[in-house]
Formats: sequence, C-alpha cells, structure tokens
Amino acid sequence: MNLMLRFLVLAFPIAFIGMFYVLLSTEDTYPGADYKVFEIPEFSLPALDNSSYIDNSSLEGDFIINVWASWCITCRVEHPYLSKLSREGIKIIGLNYKDERNDAANWINKFGDPYDLIIHDIKGSLALDMGVTGAPETFLVKNGIVVAHYQGEVNQLIWNKVFQPIIDSKKINLK
Amino acid sequence: MKYILSISVLLSCFAFSAMIYEFDNEADEIRFNDLIKEIRCPKCTSGSLSSSNAPVSEDLKKRIAEMINQGKSNAEIKEYVAKTFGKESLYDPQFQQDTFLLWFGPVIFIFVAFLLFFLRRKT
Repeated sequence: MNLMLRFLVLAFPIAFIGMFYVLLSTEDTYPGADYKVFEIPEFSLPALDNSSYIDNSSLEGDFIINVWASWCITCRVEHPYLSKLSREGIKIIGLNYKDERNDAANWINKFGDPYDLIIHDIKGSLALDMGVTGAPETFLVKNGIVVAHYQGEVNQLIWNKVFQPIIDSKKINLK
Repeated sequence: MKYILSISVLLSCFAFSAMIYEFDNEADEIRFNDLIKEIRCPKCTSGSLSSSNAPVSEDLKKRIAEMINQGKSNAEIKEYVAKTFGKESLYDPQFQQDTFLLWFGPVIFIFVAFLLFFLRRKT
C-alpha cells in the first residue's frame, strides 16, 4: 500500500507535467483555419452592380466564397493570388462586406475582378450568419455546404496546406 | 449661455457613442444585458460582448436584440451564437459529452484525493 501511495505521489505530478508539455508544445500552424461543416444560411442580397438579387439558388456547385472590402488592406495584398486562382478557372464568389457600392466598384475597376459574382452585403448580415468576424475570410463550398473556413489572407501556402487537402479528400470540383 | 449649452450638448461625444437597442418591455432589456455578458466577443481574445464595440460585436448585439424582440428564448439565442462563432463563445460551457471532464473533473479530483487520504490514515 505504502509503495503504491509513493508511486502515486510521484506519478501525479509527472502526469500533469506530461499533459501540459503535450498541450503547450503542439503547435497549431494554421490558427485561422476552421473545418466546421454547415449550410450556407438563407439570404437574399443585391449584386454589387445592383443588376439583380442573389439568393441561395444562384449559388450552385462547388466554389469558394471570399469576403472582401475596399477598406480592407489585407484584401489588397490577397487580390493578386485570387486573380491567379481565377485565371486557373476556379469559381470565386465575392462577398463584399460592409462597403459602399461606389468604393467597391472603383476597387474592382482599378485592380481587376477575380469574382464570378459579387454579393453586396452592406450590413454584414449574411456574413454574421456565416461567422465572419472581419475581412478577408474565405470559405470552401461543396454543393451549398461550407466545408472549410479560413480567417486571414489566402496565399499559395494556405491554399496548399488548408484548402487543397480538403479539395482532394472531398473530391471538390472548383472549375 | 443657452448657446454654449446647446453647442456643448451637440459636441458631446457621449451623445452619439452608445448604440440604442429598443425593446418592448423592461424584462427583455434585462435579458439582453444579461445575455451579452455571458457571450464572448468573436473578435477579441477575451472580453464579453457587452464590453466590446468591435463592428462584428455591434452586429451580433443587434442580431441578439432582434431575436429577443422576435420572442426567441435564451437557449435559442445561445445556440445561434455557438453555431456561428463556435461553442467557446459561451462563457458557461454547455453540458455535452466533450465537456464532461471540464464539469466533473474537479469533483473527481477531490473524490480521489479524499479516497487516498482515508486509505493512508488506515495504514
């Protein structure tokens, strides 16, 4: 009995130290990534060019949704990479977030339009329902279901490490 | 004097600083104020929704006020928040399979400690 107690007195602290070591040393390399699966919430919002209303039925197939705004500096940094994805034929839906229509249109005219469709969410209501906390953020969507969400700038590294594994494993066809 | 007073009121930053949420009755307003203290701001590392004026927090507060006015219960509102911003947004963790250890860990720990204490006394 005594021996067992002595063992426990030693084993408990060692177990705790071990637990903290494991918890603190496992590095989350991509803290902005989230793989929660959810449906795109119901919405009906105008297009950025005000030509029509966009709702869930306008979004078909597999694509990525990119949340951006003209006031967002990181979006400017991210923009060339999105243009590259767009040139490769990847379908990108823009979710213009809390932005004035004119500012957003000027931004697109100046830097180019990588988006297949731009939703104008001036109040950020759809963005709120999707769990957006700022810009830029990017969602990977398969048949109306969000399968990955990244908060922050998407670049080649993030694409390869966060998005590509999901695209491969779920056989998502973005083109 | 009258002019100075009216100008100072117009320039007062406090006059325009607070968002105003409207409710049908006082009970709803109390419920709103309690709820935003129990929900974490999605943009901050720590800090409640009530303490934050980040744009996304203002949006979320507005949405919560709307849901209260639609007659949604606290449980429904918390479920919405946990669904959109993750269950870590609630300061009070819900009873679930993966939070079992969180809730009962301390009780189990004390139980084991007592057990060891009495076992030791006997020997």
